[in-house]
Amino acid sequence: MSDRKLPRLLQAPAVLLLLVWMLIPLGMTLYFSFIRYVLNSLRRPEWTSPSLSNWRGFGNYEFVLKSKDFLLAIQNSLFIVCSILFLTVILGVLIAVLINKAFPGQGVVRVLLISPFFVMPAVNAVLWINMILDPVLGLQGIAVAGINEFLDGLRQIPVLGGFFSLWPEFEPVSFRATQTSAIAVIMMVTWQWTPFAVLIFMTSLQSEDQQQKEAAVLDGASTWSQFRFLTLPHLGRPIAIVVMIQAIFHLSLYAEIEIVSRGNGNKNLPYLIGEFANNNIGAASATGIFAVILANFVAIFLLRMVGKTLME
Amino acid sequence: MGRIVLDQVSKKFGDVEVIPPLDLTIEDGEFAVFVGPSGCGKSTLLRMIAGLEDLTSGNIEIDSEVVTEVPPSKRGLAMVFQSYALYPHMTVRKNIGFPLRMEKMAPDEIDKRVEAAAQSLNLIDYLDRKPGQLSGGQRQRVAIGRAIVRDPSAFLFDEPLSNLDAALRVGMRLEISEMHERMQTTMIYVTHDQVEAMTMANKIVVLQAGVIEQVGSPLDLYHKPQNVFVAGFIGSPKMNIFSGSEAEKHGAHTIGIRPEHTDVSMTDGTWEGRVGVAEHLGSDTFIHVHDTGLTDMITVRITGDISVKHGDKIYLTPQADQIHKFDAKGQRIA
Ligand SMILES: Nc1ncnc2c1ncn2[C@@H]1O[C@H](COP(=O)(O)OP(=O)(O)OP(=O)(O)O)[C@@H](O)[C@H]1O
Ligand SMILES: [Mg+2]
Repeated sequence: MSDRKLPRLLQAPAVLLLLVWMLIPLGMTLYFSFIRYVLNSLRRPEWTSPSLSNWRGFGNYEFVLKSKDFLLAIQNSLFIVCSILFLTVILGVLIAVLINKAFPGQGVVRVLLISPFFVMPAVNAVLWINMILDPVLGLQGIAVAGINEFLDGLRQIPVLGGFFSLWPEFEPVSFRATQTSAIAVIMMVTWQWTPFAVLIFMTSLQSEDQQQKEAAVLDGASTWSQFRFLTLPHLGRPIAIVVMIQAIFHLSLYAEIEIVSRGNGNKNLPYLIGEFANNNIGAASATGIFAVILANFVAIFLLRMVGKTLME
Repeated sequence: MGRIVLDQVSKKFGDVEVIPPLDLTIEDGEFAVFVGPSGCGKSTLLRMIAGLEDLTSGNIEIDSEVVTEVPPSKRGLAMVFQSYALYPHMTVRKNIGFPLRMEKMAPDEIDKRVEAAAQSLNLIDYLDRKPGQLSGGQRQRVAIGRAIVRDPSAFLFDEPLSNLDAALRVGMRLEISEMHERMQTTMIYVTHDQVEAMTMANKIVVLQAGVIEQVGSPLDLYHKPQNVFVAGFIGSPKMNIFSGSEAEKHGAHTIGIRPEHTDVSMTDGTWEGRVGVAEHLGSDTFIHVHDTGLTDMITVRITGDISVKHGDKIYLTPQADQIHKFDAKGQRIA
């Protein structure tokens, strides 16, 4: 046996397993996306079992493309993912830089900061939508009511009251509505995933070379310049990692969307797949393939962008 | 211009006094070398001059202006670090131009200065590379280039050559000396290598545990070490130093004699001993002599080659005018 063959042979089981692991689901999805396959049909019982004789070509894809929710779902997916990425990266960098300096109680603060990450997504969504964002019973409702009451009090003041009565009453926002439910999802996921970004950036900041900073100080760099020209490029790779991982995770958000609005005006691709999969497996599979393409597209695009802007 | 005066400067880290109050003046255009064993406070002292470390007490003046409270970048000093401290994400061009960019100089003026510095340091071909793609020597040159473009009133070097291999170190040593000759700018250079100190300095400052043991020209230190520490620290191989009856014969508590100031004979001499290891370097031979009854081992240096075997009997005669005498406190007796 040549010295190349043995290592290959030894790797083979692992590689094979990985291939099977990935290729079978992907292959089946592809297969289903090209045939007519539904779970229930009284009229066409032959469609209820997958078979090549039900070949539909690109019919499922056409059906998905023409469905009224598809474009909205793609738009919404991108909107939610990009907003979360933008917010978590910015907040993550700011918080990481802030708590990287030594201060009393550092250990406790760090643990507290990480803790949102350990909350289950569904629990997170329930907590946010019911206890924080609810327009009546949530923190938001209470706060808005409190402000209105305070304003009412001010209006009673003899002279100044006239000025305050020009102010309107504040209205609490309902985050279950069509226009706002995506915002709620973005808020809760950002809250949950910022700690992940902080954690990764903090580790990276601790490996930053201190002599480079001293050299920069001597070179006359302000705190901002040090951040811009040393710290930010140093964080380039961790930012790329955070963006990459989160993009993949958040393209498949489901629990939050289900809990906030049951997809009302706020569907994303996974939610659309879920709706199709109630009966039409063929259409669900075609949507799944679109989702795979979108995920790759987003990942490549984001990585390029992060790489370009940070590495100079 | 770059006359640097330290006035009763001291440094404490917590309760530990690393540098007790000290005075030191470095004249404009001088090449001063801080030398001393590891941990003696050389880097700390340099960083205090640079402004990277606060003073616990005392004042620092640069060109008769007190700069103790002046931020590092406003002191007009440039520093070269042991680890080079290049900015890894920037090209060589950007690295060298960084201090000028921070001064908000016009881009074409920056380009001109960077190119001039790169020219003088043989870096022209590497301007568009990143530090990671350079050899150690080239990185060191970039670090020096970044210091030069600022046109500082003094350069500070913290063991800049200790990451280089021996051959390169000799080369860079010459380059830095040459740079000093050409620019005539004040330089302060920290090293624990006494060969670097001897070859490069106009003025050597020998430090031990934060205390200045002696300040002087290399030959001053070689010929007239003020105390036993300096006598043992400067010179290679080390001076032979011993106390006892032989020292008392010379009216001293301790005497020292350099290896190169001892005559050797196989037949007769002042001290008798037995040859231990002989190191043949071709140009010189170092013989380690045991059983002299003076101290464990005396090293002698002979120009050229000599054939001696391990265990041979050997006689040593110190050159009378080259004996260094020290009192009980280790201070030189005139
Ligand atoms: N930030 C600090 N906190 C506490 N002690 C320090 C600090 N920096 C240096 N020291 C101590 O100060 C002393 C002098 O350190 P310094 O780095 O100046 O030594 P050095 O002469 O440059 O040694 P070397 O030749 O090994 O570089 C050492 O004993 C060191 O432990
Ligand atoms: Mg040091």
